[in-house]
Amino acid sequence: MTLLSLNGTVAGEWGLLGENEAPAEGANVAVSLERFLSAEEEFFESAGAVGVLVDTETSYTDLAPLVNKLSFVAIDFPAFTDGRGFSLAVRLRKDLGFKGEIRATGHAIPDQALFLLRAGFDTAEVADERKEAFENALSRFSNFYQADYQGRASVAHERHTPNEHRKAS
Amino acid sequence: MAKKLKGPQMILANYLDDGRVVFFTEAGGWSASPTEAAYAEEDAADALLAEANKSTASNLIVGAELIGATITDGKPFPSHMKHVMQAKGPSVRLDLGYQVSTDWEAR
Amino acid sequence: MYAYDAYDHALVKSRVAEFRDQVERRVKGELTEEEFRPLRLMNGLYLQLHAYMLRVAVPYGTMSADQMRRLAHVARKYDKGYGHFTTRQNIQYNWPKLSETPDILDELAEVEMHAIQTSGNCIRNVTTDQFAGATADEVADPRPYAELLRQWSTFHPEFSFLPRKFKFAITGAATDRAAVKWHDIGLIVKKNDAGEIGFEVLVGGGMGRTPVIGKTIREFLPEADFLSYQEAILRVYNEHGRRDNKYKARIKILVEAMGVEEFQRQVEEEWQRIKHIPIDVPAEEIARINAFFTPPPLPVLDDNVPSVDDLARKNFVFASWLKNNTNPHKVPGHVNVTISLKPHGGIPGDATDAQMDLVAALADEYSQSEIRVSHEQNLILPHVAKKDLAAIWTDLDEAGLGTANVGLLTDMIACPGLDYCALANARSIPIAQAITKRFDDMKRLQDIGPLKVKMSGCINSCGHHHAGHIGILGVDRKGEESYQLLLGGSGAEDASKAAILGPGFNEHDIVDALEKVVAVYLGEREEGEEFLATYRRVGQQVFKEAVYDAA
Repeated sequence: MTLLSLNGTVAGEWGLLGENEAPAEGANVAVSLERFLSAEEEFFESAGAVGVLVDTETSYTDLAPLVNKLSFVAIDFPAFTDGRGFSLAVRLRKDLGFKGEIRATGHAIPDQALFLLRAGFDTAEVADERKEAFENALSRFSNFYQADYQGRASVAHERHTPNEHRKAS
Repeated sequence: MAKKLKGPQMILANYLDDGRVVFFTEAGGWSASPTEAAYAEEDAADALLAEANKSTASNLIVGAELIGATITDGKPFPSHMKHVMQAKGPSVRLDLGYQVSTDWEAR
Repeated sequence: MYAYDAYDHALVKSRVAEFRDQVERRVKGELTEEEFRPLRLMNGLYLQLHAYMLRVAVPYGTMSADQMRRLAHVARKYDKGYGHFTTRQNIQYNWPKLSETPDILDELAEVEMHAIQTSGNCIRNVTTDQFAGATADEVADPRPYAELLRQWSTFHPEFSFLPRKFKFAITGAATDRAAVKWHDIGLIVKKNDAGEIGFEVLVGGGMGRTPVIGKTIREFLPEADFLSYQEAILRVYNEHGRRDNKYKARIKILVEAMGVEEFQRQVEEEWQRIKHIPIDVPAEEIARINAFFTPPPLPVLDDNVPSVDDLARKNFVFASWLKNNTNPHKVPGHVNVTISLKPHGGIPGDATDAQMDLVAALADEYSQSEIRVSHEQNLILPHVAKKDLAAIWTDLDEAGLGTANVGLLTDMIACPGLDYCALANARSIPIAQAITKRFDDMKRLQDIGPLKVKMSGCINSCGHHHAGHIGILGVDRKGEESYQLLLGGSGAEDASKAAILGPGFNEHDIVDALEKVVAVYLGEREEGEEFLATYRRVGQQVFKEAVYDAA
């Protein structure tokens, strides 16, 4: 597996904490949402930064109270056809104002690269042999009918923006 | 999980390239003619499917499945209505099914 | 009609390149069939019984003569010389090759056509009134809003992997010719007292195994909030629609499970959060799109055209065609012509490449080069001057397109059924052929009057049998084709579900059963009363007794 950046964000190194492991001093760690919620206040104080691993069943409302403490969210796609992952990322960015790294893991396929990017994902964990297909997919389209949460205006807005103010394609 | 079929079975699939219906033959190839199909029962049918799926792996066909067959004079023909339609082509345009076209060859 | 700008062209072109790449990767085995299938479906490509089937979009059922000519060309070059017009105003080709589909899409892109999202668990073609922009009974042309929806829903990053397919329909007239109450989201264009445009929003309508009529969650949604509100609905559906069971995954199931009040509350709550984000387009964009739908500059002409009346007096078929196949236009002296694709004994909704070319030629000469597709599988020439009707009819009649049965019993909707479709349980087309042959008598059809017969070859209801005045559902009964009769459905503003009459019939007896239903109607009706009204007045019992009476 390899970590692919969708938008130039450098993928962070997040060590997956073992079952009974405690975070090392200053280490960046990732844990399941359940573990994060059940841990004592002070448990993660020694960690450098903390991220959670969630999947498409997770509701953004579960993440709402935690957002200020989180630096990283990985959303796992149990199947690439499970589109809830996209809504979850959108909610993290839009509703919760999450500014940390959002990573797609699991079964997302290369052809979804731009959807991931525009829904708010920064990075994706991809099979080595699919890295090239993901990268190709990212450059497939350069304009979009919808506004996204990375700041790109939609075609509907671009059409009426004077040339000098248009974002470069 | 699909129920296991009873009785004689044959294998139906579609060519990946043009979607036409083909049947797995004794020789290990594919034919548009159902009467040229291999047929078997029980475990032997499963073994036949495993053979047929080599063509799935090589991207020649898709959707290989065991279907019920009726045997007449030692030759199989699909029993279920849907597969009969697939073997014969559309009943309302007898001129159009691949069965009548001359531009195919068994692979 | 809408014309692409450089952005639209680039998007469609990129999409074709993307699909070409996907096909190559599939053939090489770099994509599994499981991965490829949703991708090809999102480009309208199904694998059906005998071959692939390509469903090309006709956005909100409007196309140009040039586009129709291209559809004819595709039928000739890549298919077997014909196409099938569908209940979602699209066209289907039944014999394309996978390897040639990118080429087909390239040729379609040249004339601003595509097959984007005509299948798959995403937002499909937005359908509308086939007379939109041309009818006297319209509040406003719904098509600019259909175009807005088309763009907003195309390659939407969040809503391309929904629990299931998603269908919008929109009407601009109180007389609903778009069956909006039978759609996942139905929209009715309205004007408030200040004359401002807004929309009634209905959700959770649908057919299939569990037919449901849509419920209103917003009486008047202002134009400026149009897209963000749809986004709110889709987000609630995407998050909460069932993904464990394909048969319970449509939004209608979610609305029933949540209750419409709770669903509405969640939508409104979500909409409050997002309405200030640039989902809605700038006013300039609405104005830009509206400009494409400016009514054509038609001269006001005399509604009274003696030459037409003369021909009608002499020729009974032309008189019937005039009566049944033309509808009033906004501009005096003009009508909208419906070309019936339901010749008696023919295949409903099919047209040959030669017929498509003829329709294109007639459109160029008589209907501002514009053509519509109706959800009842017919073609329309809008904006036709009455004085041209005799010439048009003569050409249509010669080409087998002159059947004067629009709105009558033999103007049946029928899905392709088990002759073509991998989902079907029974054949539809031969039944339609038998029925239309049995009723091949214009005087008789005229006497029976308006009657919508709709047939599906399986419970997926592509033939809209739940919304038929008379519906027919083909089922598989112990390996044999069996046909059930349903009565009293409607797809119009008075939407209702057809009710099943009793046990099914074989392919011969269903035609007799239908005749008995018609006979009961003729016996029971009051002066000038149409079938649906009679049925609703007298109820099912008298029909049931007649049809199932052993004597």
